[in-house]
Amino acid sequence: MSASTILSASDLRVELQSRRGSFVLTADALDLHAREALVILGPNGSGKSTLVRTLAGLERPAGGRVASVATGPVTMVFQRPAPFAGSVAHNVRVAFLGTKLTGAERRARVGEALERFKIDHLAEHRAATLSGGELRRLALSRAFALRPAVLLLDEPFAALDADGQAALSLDLRRAISDTGVAVAMVTHDLRRAMLLADRIAVLLDGKLVQVGRRDDVLERPSTPEIAQVVGMTNLVQGVVGTDRRGDLVMVEVDAQHRVATHTECAAGTRVWIGIRPEHLKLDVGRGDVDPIGKGVVRGMINDGVSVSVGVDWAGSELRTHLMAGRGLARSLEVGAEVSLSASPEHVHLMPVRSD
Amino acid sequence: MSPLSIGLLVEITARTLAVCLPALVISLAIGLPIGIAIGGRRFTGRVPLVSLVNTGMGAPPVVVGLLVYFALERNGPFGDLSWLYSSQAMILAQVVIALPLIVGITLAAVGSLDEDWELQIRTLGVPKRWRLWLLVREIRLGLLAAVITALGGILSEVGAVMAVGGNLEGETRVLTTAILMYTQMGELEVALGLAAILVGLMLVLAGLLTAVQQSGRT
Repeated sequence: MSASTILSASDLRVELQSRRGSFVLTADALDLHAREALVILGPNGSGKSTLVRTLAGLERPAGGRVASVATGPVTMVFQRPAPFAGSVAHNVRVAFLGTKLTGAERRARVGEALERFKIDHLAEHRAATLSGGELRRLALSRAFALRPAVLLLDEPFAALDADGQAALSLDLRRAISDTGVAVAMVTHDLRRAMLLADRIAVLLDGKLVQVGRRDDVLERPSTPEIAQVVGMTNLVQGVVGTDRRGDLVMVEVDAQHRVATHTECAAGTRVWIGIRPEHLKLDVGRGDVDPIGKGVVRGMINDGVSVSVGVDWAGSELRTHLMAGRGLARSLEVGAEVSLSASPEHVHLMPVRSD
Repeated sequence: MSPLSIGLLVEITARTLAVCLPALVISLAIGLPIGIAIGGRRFTGRVPLVSLVNTGMGAPPVVVGLLVYFALERNGPFGDLSWLYSSQAMILAQVVIALPLIVGITLAAVGSLDEDWELQIRTLGVPKRWRLWLLVREIRLGLLAAVITALGGILSEVGAVMAVGGNLEGETRVLTTAILMYTQMGELEVALGLAAILVGLMLVLAGLLTAVQQSGRT
């Protein structure tokens, strides 16, 4: 445990039994540092909620331990926050039951917390009448009213529409920044993770498989499975070649498709090549800056903001994004031949498992 | 049989309340914690226990009266108490009738809470004694429904109180047993008058409780 660690889990093993069967979660080492936002990513059923519940002390580990040196409260906001009977203000006041705060202090904190999440105008409304988005704001208000040292969030943006997610994530980021609370947040929404995370932890099949600084995990996932979770969805197998250009090594996919990157891997090693969609450049011309070869557009999905373009490249479909209604996005058509390029800094290699 | 005087009417009504209200309070005191304990936990044997409670909710009062009678008669396990044909016996029988109703409705109210409700409270660091207060506050509408149901059940019940109270004039005669007696005697006007008082009593008590229940919704 480093000096800045406020909550840590070591050699954790949590065993759960349910009607659907048994589930085991393991995490060798996970630290939450003071004043940081740790985002826990993983597909559905990977154990994210179990992990955060264990950190909150709601699940008893079968092995290992969770240790906290937090000097303030450790609290949690649930995926489906259920309101208590009574007004919105009462729901926040519940957090002060058993504390020695005076009435004036309580009122001030309730007002401050509701204002922070922009629901102060609903203070006297019945909590049961709130919308899903307002309920989440209420749950976050109550948690922040406690002035916690550690805040654990289980899918705080689940079931909200895109605008609701965007607005709440900005308010949450501001609240985290203003208060300096250490946050561990579960989500499967990569955009929210990128907005809020200082560090990212990835869970797969009940196992904590990678923890690191946000950009390290996003750009250098350890395995192709982790790459998929963190949005590095362009994955193709290749072989490290013998052709070197300066400190760059060419990785060959086939005779026509090669990718330049930096690697310590020996020539002949089979590897997964990973390129994030936002780092894959698309051009109808020569594409002569860091070219990786030609491809054919197979599909385009325009959501009004961006266009997701699928390109057939070396027998695999690679994806990239263009800004809707601008530049190439206006003229590109399915079936068009395009040149693809990727900077060697943004081409990541991962080992191919022998099994 | 002397005609029913106002004094006698007041006495019978007062005795009815003196039997029913303590029975209700005792049932609540015992049934609430049991209902909360069963409703809020998952444990081995819970299903048969809930099934037993549900059976109790539909138990015929006259059978309950018979069982209490056997328990209190001279040779019964509690014969030494000498409670048979007394108000205590009637209260005991009514507690046995009301208890499953209180437990059953309370555990259903607790069980209907969101599964993360208690965990939310725990993660807010609310001390245990306040958690119980919050829980009671949360299920108060269900609890009032339990009180109304139990009160209705014991106030209108006749079989059990007849079996263990005996309808003794000046001692164990309550509104229901008096109605039954006057009906059998052919004094239908008196029986109807008593019935009107019983229904009025139930209306007033249920009305008060319903008013409290509805005020809790705002």
